[in-house]
Amino acid sequence: MNSRPEHYTPRPYDPYADDDNAAGGWFNSDGYVPRQQPGHDGQGVHGHQGHDVHQGYQGHDVPESYDYDPRVYPYQQLDDQPTFALSTVAEPEPESAEPGYHIPETPDAGWDDTPSRRRAWVSRGVLGILLIIQTLLSLRLSNTAFQDEALYLAAGHNILEHWSSGTPLHSGYESYFSGSPMLYPVAAAFVDGWFGLSGARALSLLCMLGATVLLYSFTRRLFNERVALVAAALFAVTQPTIVLGWFATYDAPAIFLLALSAWIIVRTNRAPVFAVLLAAPVMVLAVAVKYASALYVPTLIVLAALTAWHHRGWRCVPRALLLGVGTAALAGIGLMYTDVLAGVRQTTTNRAHGTDTASALLEKSAEWGGLMFATAVAGAVAYALRGRMNESPRSYGLNGPGWRWRALLGVTLAGTALLAPAYQIHLHTAVSLYKHLDFGLLFAAPMAGVGVIRLVGKHFRYPQLGIMIWVGALCLGVSQSEWRFGLWPDSSGLVQAIEPYMEPGGRYLGETYEVPVYYLRDKTKHSQWTSTYGIGYPDKKGVVHHGNEGYRLALEDGYFDLVVLDGVATPGLDAYIERQVTKSGHYRLIGKIPFRLSSGGTGAYRVWVKTA
Amino acid sequence: MMVKRFFGMRALLAVCLLTVLALTGCSLLGSDDGSSGTGHGTSGGAHPSASADADLPYDVVPLLKPAKKYFGAAVAGAPTSMKSVDAYAEMVGKRPNLIEYYAGWGDGFDASGVRRAWAEGALTLMSWEPFDTPIADIAAGKSDAYIKKYATAVRKLNLPVVIDFADEFNGHWEKWGTQSTTPAQYVAAWRHIHKTFLDAGASNVIWAWAPNIVNPVPDVRLKPYYPGDAYVDWIGLVGYFTTGEDNAFDSVFGPTRKQIRTFTKKPMLLLETAAMPGERRRADVRNLFAGVEDDDDMIGFIWFNHRKRADWRLEASPLALEEFKRLAADDRFGFDVRKPA
Repeated sequence: MNSRPEHYTPRPYDPYADDDNAAGGWFNSDGYVPRQQPGHDGQGVHGHQGHDVHQGYQGHDVPESYDYDPRVYPYQQLDDQPTFALSTVAEPEPESAEPGYHIPETPDAGWDDTPSRRRAWVSRGVLGILLIIQTLLSLRLSNTAFQDEALYLAAGHNILEHWSSGTPLHSGYESYFSGSPMLYPVAAAFVDGWFGLSGARALSLLCMLGATVLLYSFTRRLFNERVALVAAALFAVTQPTIVLGWFATYDAPAIFLLALSAWIIVRTNRAPVFAVLLAAPVMVLAVAVKYASALYVPTLIVLAALTAWHHRGWRCVPRALLLGVGTAALAGIGLMYTDVLAGVRQTTTNRAHGTDTASALLEKSAEWGGLMFATAVAGAVAYALRGRMNESPRSYGLNGPGWRWRALLGVTLAGTALLAPAYQIHLHTAVSLYKHLDFGLLFAAPMAGVGVIRLVGKHFRYPQLGIMIWVGALCLGVSQSEWRFGLWPDSSGLVQAIEPYMEPGGRYLGETYEVPVYYLRDKTKHSQWTSTYGIGYPDKKGVVHHGNEGYRLALEDGYFDLVVLDGVATPGLDAYIERQVTKSGHYRLIGKIPFRLSSGGTGAYRVWVKTA
Repeated sequence: MMVKRFFGMRALLAVCLLTVLALTGCSLLGSDDGSSGTGHGTSGGAHPSASADADLPYDVVPLLKPAKKYFGAAVAGAPTSMKSVDAYAEMVGKRPNLIEYYAGWGDGFDASGVRRAWAEGALTLMSWEPFDTPIADIAAGKSDAYIKKYATAVRKLNLPVVIDFADEFNGHWEKWGTQSTTPAQYVAAWRHIHKTFLDAGASNVIWAWAPNIVNPVPDVRLKPYYPGDAYVDWIGLVGYFTTGEDNAFDSVFGPTRKQIRTFTKKPMLLLETAAMPGERRRADVRNLFAGVEDDDDMIGFIWFNHRKRADWRLEASPLALEEFKRLAADDRFGFDVRKPA
């Protein structure tokens, strides 16, 4: 009251002045809008409300100059004036006790967060669109078979032929394949036999699409549809996912099997404890298909505990233990009956250490999976701080898991993305890094989904942030996958050039010989080829020569009928071999087949044939 | 307060993610693996395979030692114009499948001539004669720009071409012969030209090393002039049946063949041959065909149908022409070079 000015000075009236005033409005109880004087201090808003303000008008007449018309401004009447007319009108008798209309009970939220058929189908529709996008992105890529693809497919054909017609099996696949030669290579070669390389690659595409679907499904169960869709959307457009979807190697089926394991673990969280054992054979199969999948088994076991916490409390730990023991037992049985340990050591655990620096590996990892990982970390942090996952007042998240559980889930999922880079930094090698990143991104994807959903906010308040991140991921994925697919030379010219020289008894020296062995498998066999990675050449006296000397003597003797170099894998040795080829005089260059790589480099296949 | 804090956190997250996006985007736009090169894979969109098939170099290996013999001719004006070849074919009753022509060092490459001959099933042999450029200079790289340009044109044509460089080098009568060039210079020049061609990707050249027969120059050893098996595809002998010399095939070519076989087993071609007009010409022609037929390593001959110092043209002796026509009808001579057996 003490803030009121001593003398009120009438001002021109503004009927809209108080529209936004929180304390009043057009429809006050008595149809009167309290006017408010500009406050001189902070208390003005409260101090001048209601009758206080009204009193401000008392004692003042309406200014004469004011155009007063109660029909236009009914609320401008000075005070409650008796409305005599109303009291003279007889109130009609109600016709019935019940009103003729019905006001439904108003729900406390405009939508329901419990599952519904409509929600499920709308989400599946969006997922379907995402799968179409993922398919198109993978199908855009084209190049001839990569060395690894050619190796696995040719090996698969060799094994299939061995089974069907007893042709000799090229030994030693177990010793250097990074997965069981009897699983993926055979399946892929079977498809390849019917539909060619595109067929084998389409198998990978199905696996990657399946992984996206499973990712959606288990993320939906962990969080909700929104998070699941975003997780699937981000996963589907990253470089590794796009590339592996059109790449006939172990990776796509291994990722699919890991996704399936995760799905089973999440899906059976309320089922009897033993149901989790369904995931064990799938996990063992994933590891058998690609040994490096074992790196992700601990994540799955922790996930088995975390997902059951709400329903079982501390009894979730035996669930995880059961899964671990079951998996180990199955793996042990598998190892007893197969001989894969040497291959596991060679390709996975004791893999040759490279020379790539940690910073270079980190840079590559950041470039290829950094955006998704950063989003996942953001999601993990946001989720740890606040558990509520949607706007509904009845949301589960209101009384949801505690912050420790949320933090643990975030760390488990987002942290899994770090396993592959960490292991490769340990090995100092960038070989296959981009492929292994995708294994981790599969697990980080749900947290990335949470991150984006948190950025977008309640009621989709900031959709532009989510769109920005996804479009960013899409652009990176599209350009990086195209770049990746151009990193190896197109071999169609080479295959065409050397085809006439493939003879049953021919002996060939080839730098990337897996590719011609695959494409020309009807005319040549693996055993006819010697690589530039090593030679054991016996001279006439039976002394076996290795390394440069071995190549020199073999070329001097005209041992090889064809020499194919590309200068990619072993450029130093290539120069040496080229000199020896010239020196020997047995060989003639049949052509240099130039190629250009997406890295900007150029090169040429050089093919010499023995003419004397 | 909660609202504000939450909004602040969102802004922070957005900034972090934007930074990551920008960083990855930048590294994407920058050089990916440090490899040198101007083009960038992600920018062009041109697939590396785009030109692979079209660019496949012609493989001349099946032409190096074909099942049948080359039936060649050096006629005036060919292959710039194929009219004289047509006339020759009509005269001898068979189309020649190897056309020889002479070019000076410094001349341009007659790609359209080669293409024209090829269209009629004939390979072109170019005898490259360095009249005005010392062989030592060629070896020293003084003609590199010319060689590169020539090699690029040959590679671009992508049809087989036979090149013999500085033929009759063992003779003293040529400008580049023994009087002015040492064997080492000759070999160095040959290897240098060969390397320049291969560097340009011109593997479609068949290299014919063409000494004159040793009979007139018995003291000049051929081996020091031989560039090596890695640089030579054919041994092309230049030798004629001349009056006054014994006309047995082995007398004319035997000593040279014997000497050459001591250091290489490369296929042999009579790169330039003919018989002097006269009464013996008919017998010479018979000896020529018989000699080539009998030697499996002899892949054919080129009849020098010019009038130069003597009239080597077949039309000069109707009887010999008749004999030539009869022998040339043998199926072992001549084949379509576009489809070697």
